[in-house]
Amino acid sequence: MENEYSIIVKNVTKSFRIYHEKRNSVYEYLTSIFDRQKTYEKLTVLKDISFSVKKGEMLGIVGFNGNGKTTLLKIIGNIYSPDEGTVVTNGKLTPFLELGTGFNGELTARDNIIIYGVILGFTKKQIKEKIEEIAKFAELEKFLDTKLKNFSTGMNARLAFSTAIQVNPDILLVDEILSVGDILFQEKSFDTFMKFRKSGKTIVYVSHYIDQVQHLCDKVLWLHEGTIREYGEPKKVVEAYRQFAESKEK
Amino acid sequence: MSDNLLKQIWEKRSLIVILAINDVKLRYRKSVLGFLWSFLEPLLMLAVLYFVFTNVIKNNIQNYPLYLLLGLIMWYMVQRSTLMGQSSLLERAGIIQKVYFRREIIVISSCLTALIMMGFEFLAFSFFIVVFHFVPPVTIVLLPLLLIDLFIFTLGISLFLSVLTVYFRDLKFIWQILLQMGFFVTPIIYKLDMFPEYIRNILQLNPIVPILDTAHGLVLYGSLPTLKETLYIIASTAIIFIIGYLVFRIKSKRIIEEL
Repeated sequence: MENEYSIIVKNVTKSFRIYHEKRNSVYEYLTSIFDRQKTYEKLTVLKDISFSVKKGEMLGIVGFNGNGKTTLLKIIGNIYSPDEGTVVTNGKLTPFLELGTGFNGELTARDNIIIYGVILGFTKKQIKEKIEEIAKFAELEKFLDTKLKNFSTGMNARLAFSTAIQVNPDILLVDEILSVGDILFQEKSFDTFMKFRKSGKTIVYVSHYIDQVQHLCDKVLWLHEGTIREYGEPKKVVEAYRQFAESKEK
Repeated sequence: MSDNLLKQIWEKRSLIVILAINDVKLRYRKSVLGFLWSFLEPLLMLAVLYFVFTNVIKNNIQNYPLYLLLGLIMWYMVQRSTLMGQSSLLERAGIIQKVYFRREIIVISSCLTALIMMGFEFLAFSFFIVVFHFVPPVTIVLLPLLLIDLFIFTLGISLFLSVLTVYFRDLKFIWQILLQMGFFVTPIIYKLDMFPEYIRNILQLNPIVPILDTAHGLVLYGSLPTLKETLYIIASTAIIFIIGYLVFRIKSKRIIEEL
């Protein structure tokens, strides 16, 4: 029964501390002992969220900025721990939250591929075998030994994307990353993404391209002010979301 | 629970090693003299201290240059390992905010960077052994054990400091001052028996003191540490490591939000 699901999110609540006046020194800490004012406010970003994603399913998450989408992804990805509730994931998980994590301009593209690959969970040997393939996909074969600081933003992003797609996880968390590079590269990355989808990976996809979400996803979740406003059929949810957005505009 | 931790860290050994190696690369690449710097830094320090403590203030320590150099190298290890470990979580915020792995890994790899740098300095040390026509006693083979202990010791301090430094940023400066004081209350440029007994007893509480004492004995004088010293070294390392680890476990839960 449990194995049918890749991700089970149960009653997750998460709040952050918003500091009035951030106290982060020993001196300030010592003086604050005598001055017992509350220095932070609790901001609840997610309230009692529950849902589950079946194996091989693609879940889209939509919602306005600041309504908890990225926080939710980070909780699923074990980067934040929830205040209450539990998250269970079955299988190897890779977060694609921001590409190029750990890139260092002073090192060559080759070194950076290795570091990034290892951060994403490869062994050094595995990633070394893939360097040529990655460079080819990124169309950067000639620049493998160039320092990354000499790369353009687009080149940087292409390199990061090409490395990231080498991972072979069971669950992918994707946060707005298909908009990297020029149109040609976007198409290429979109195709790769679809391959992941066809090979039965579980995907959680956060995006503002609601048309794309509607067409690609099996289910859509609309987060509004930290709660699930709607969940289910993509067409229905996206339609409701669109109407809500339009009514807000007026 | 804890063997689960060891397993998770073992699975990420590639990551630990690669972060450390690239750190070493960057550190040497940034300075003009590059790799040579690792030899020059202790060398210059050695030259100054040697001049002062043989010409200005007399001492009668046998093989003084080697005594001095050995102490310096091990002190640099304490200093670098804890300083780099302390700021490691802040420096690698970009990574740990986006990918999950045991946060301890970041601190371990920083201490490993210091360990690698100490390795290079011991190369320089062996060069000096040859220059001074010194024949090291057989007890030198036990030195690696002591260095492993030193690594665990500094890792314990680093775990403790790294996570607290996320909350209290000025701990960095406080620790730097403590280290500067530490340099003078540790027998690096002098020998402990130059002091009257009551001062010696106080200084010996510093857990680095018996470690350095033992190193000098093993490498230069062919003497083994006493049982009491050995136990003190092992016990103090264990205690510091356990405290550091526990503080890290408790305090690291919310650090991502505080970075």
